[in-house]
Amino acid sequence: MSKLKIKGVEIVETFAEAFPMVGTRIIITAPSREWALIAARTMTGFATSVIACGVEAGIERELKPDETLDGRPGVAVLLFAMDTGKLQKQLLNRVGQCVLTSPGSACFAGLEGEKKLKLGSALRFFGDGWQMSKVIGGRRFWRVPVMDGEFVCEDKTGLTKKAVGGGNLLVLGRSYGSVLAACTRAVKAMAEVPEVITPFPGGIVRSGSKVGSKYKGQIASTNHAYCPTLKAVVDTALPLEVEAVMEIVIDGLTAPAIAKAMRVGIHAIAAGGAAEGVTQISAGNYGGNLGPHHFHLKEIIA
Amino acid sequence: MTALTFKLATKPNQRLDLSPLTPQRLAGLSPSEIEALPIGTSREPVTVGDIFKLKGNDAAKLRLVGTDARCDRIGQDLAEGEIDVDGDAGAYLGAAMRGGEIRLSGSAGPFAGGGMKGGAIEIAGDVGERAGGVVVGETFGMRGGRLSIGGKAGPMLGERMRRGLVVVQGGAGDYAGARMIAGTLLIKGRVGRWAGYGLRRGSLILSKEPKDLLPTFGDSGVLDFNWLRVLERNLHATGAHVKFRSRARRLMGDMAVLGKGEMLILA
Repeated sequence: MSKLKIKGVEIVETFAEAFPMVGTRIIITAPSREWALIAARTMTGFATSVIACGVEAGIERELKPDETLDGRPGVAVLLFAMDTGKLQKQLLNRVGQCVLTSPGSACFAGLEGEKKLKLGSALRFFGDGWQMSKVIGGRRFWRVPVMDGEFVCEDKTGLTKKAVGGGNLLVLGRSYGSVLAACTRAVKAMAEVPEVITPFPGGIVRSGSKVGSKYKGQIASTNHAYCPTLKAVVDTALPLEVEAVMEIVIDGLTAPAIAKAMRVGIHAIAAGGAAEGVTQISAGNYGGNLGPHHFHLKEIIA
Repeated sequence: MTALTFKLATKPNQRLDLSPLTPQRLAGLSPSEIEALPIGTSREPVTVGDIFKLKGNDAAKLRLVGTDARCDRIGQDLAEGEIDVDGDAGAYLGAAMRGGEIRLSGSAGPFAGGGMKGGAIEIAGDVGERAGGVVVGETFGMRGGRLSIGGKAGPMLGERMRRGLVVVQGGAGDYAGARMIAGTLLIKGRVGRWAGYGLRRGSLILSKEPKDLLPTFGDSGVLDFNWLRVLERNLHATGAHVKFRSRARRLMGDMAVLGKGEMLILA
């Protein structure tokens, strides 16, 4: 059987195994694009993995002034967690500490949905009794007095339980530089896909993990089968010539959005061809028994 | 299906109570049953058929043509559907309505939108006293929805209003926003004396400083209000012809009561 290849880069016949998550979207606006981005980057900092950050969050896209409720430049932010309670806690902590505090910011709901998460309805108490509520067009907003004027924050934002976390691509290459270049290119291309984020630093994770460890209390540890320095001593998944492996993890509001992002990513990675140094595109899974969502690379690029 | 139309054929000899003419109350009635509905308010009985000529068949969309200032309670308690009025309206236009939409080409009498809870009223002309205010026998004014007035509003506009939005293009009489509990009044043009009298919470947005400012209001100076941007964009989206900027002078009061309300005088 011949191997599936795009421009000489092998697409390994495997699948990414992903999990259901709860997700939400908020819109942050500010007097300028720069300040909207500052608030959004601050609130999505330290949000790479639910393992220790409580939430996975990132910037979905920037919004033009005519796309926001207050006509100012904005940023759409997505947040994902394993359950509603954790998402709620992280949302309030992050908006409270990073958006409320950011000069000129305002915060609006970015998702409809029957189930709601508290936003302004909890943060309003910062106003110490001077907060004011306004219902405009059927939506409730809180005006919280702050030192640069007022922090306008919508009462609630929507929640989806159909979100999916852990869509991923593994990129194997003969040279470190080629893998980093291909992944950087892929993250940039995937940023254009709506409803998804790549929560790791610059969208890339170099320390893929497996569940468990030889040490008690260590819930995740290095994915030794993909560590190039351990090829000699473990049941390795890597051909001898592979110098580096990097992973792109994708969270999305829906499963189709993840599939689309993976497709865009695969094509962007393979765009450099085998000549660039990338040898294989693979995906991480746990044998298929843990996560209900299976994204088969072969089907995704079909 | 064309809108069920009521054309005034005979000038009424008494004030009329047109509250039966709402989509929810006419649903399922035959033309003859509608014509037999009593709308008189005196000892002399008057039915719909005595005054109006009926046309059309869609009771979800009503049209009233040629009404005058004696036609009271048009669209009172309206829950859904539309009422288009080509003419004037008497008292209680859309009072206590919960949903749906009323459009009036002329002017309305007192209590227009009084105690309304939802829906929208659009009046091209003027309104009498207590628009969006407290209907006789009630304790609260408007509790939701949107009331747009193209002309001038009378005194006591939005009295004891709790929620909702009133937009007036042509100024208002004395005591605008009196005893307001919450909600938003936006008034372009001149406003009479003692605006915001007894204001507890809520916002009066004024294009001009009122003539006699209550001494129980304090000044916070001219500031930028981002929520005014949200409001303006929402008004534009709903087709309202108002333009304003987000800078305003914020006066807070009425300190004689709770004092958490505001008068925003647009800069």
